[in-house]
Amino acid sequence: MKRHLLLYLIALPALVLTLTAQAHDPKEHMNEKQTPDCAAMKEMDHSKMNMNDPVMQAMMQKCMGKDTKMSSDGHDEAEVKEPAKHKHK
Amino acid sequence: MVSFGFVRCIKCLSVAAGLMVLTGIAFIYSGLYPMGADNQHTRLTFWVLETLREHSISRATQDIEVPLDLDTPARLLRGGSDYAAMCASCHLAPDKKETDFTKGLYPKPPNLTMTHLDHGDPKDQDKQYFWIIKHGIKGSGMPAWGPGHTDEQIWNLVAFLKRLPELTPAQYQILTANVPE
Repeated sequence: MKRHLLLYLIALPALVLTLTAQAHDPKEHMNEKQTPDCAAMKEMDHSKMNMNDPVMQAMMQKCMGKDTKMSSDGHDEAEVKEPAKHKHK
Repeated sequence: MVSFGFVRCIKCLSVAAGLMVLTGIAFIYSGLYPMGADNQHTRLTFWVLETLREHSISRATQDIEVPLDLDTPARLLRGGSDYAAMCASCHLAPDKKETDFTKGLYPKPPNLTMTHLDHGDPKDQDKQYFWIIKHGIKGSGMPAWGPGHTDEQIWNLVAFLKRLPELTPAQYQILTANVPE
């Protein structure tokens, strides 16, 4: 009886700790079963598209399959130049 | 030499201040304050809280340095993905007008697809976005995302927020979707 109680006392906090750690896994942020609707790009008015616009460039990258897979640390695998690290309060 | 009238006045003021403190404590313990999120603040309470928040954030963001490369495709892609997962349920997406969260939260979360926070200088706005995402806002439902997220991840979100109001639903969908592995 005492053993069971002890088991619960250890197992429950361990379970809570595990679930808390998983909640901050970057993979948790991923949208499930959502793929970019790249066909919609074809229907956009190309005359109004500015190829120098970062939004347009980002969409092109996404639809061309670049820069989309997320590594386990939550960053894209295809890296672009990173700025100096910023540390803030 | 202090006059008798002045001493009497000080005593009266002390008694009045003591009574006010006691009344305040009695009110706190009475349970009369309506705590429900569906019961809005009075205009005075709202002004006090909003002014307190604005000045506190403004002071806290003074020394933050905004990265020079916020407007890059890579940041938009990373920030977009996180926005859809972490923020869209409260701050909406271009094709959504409301969610259960926006209907029930008080204060109501700002619709970030429609407006930017009005902070004048865009750099100040970036700093304030960064600080709010990182530290959250007490009693508002806005969590602090700092624990568990790097500064770079938060700046990616800021980069996405800067462009969000001008995105069409189709652009938003492409930027925020994840390619299945």
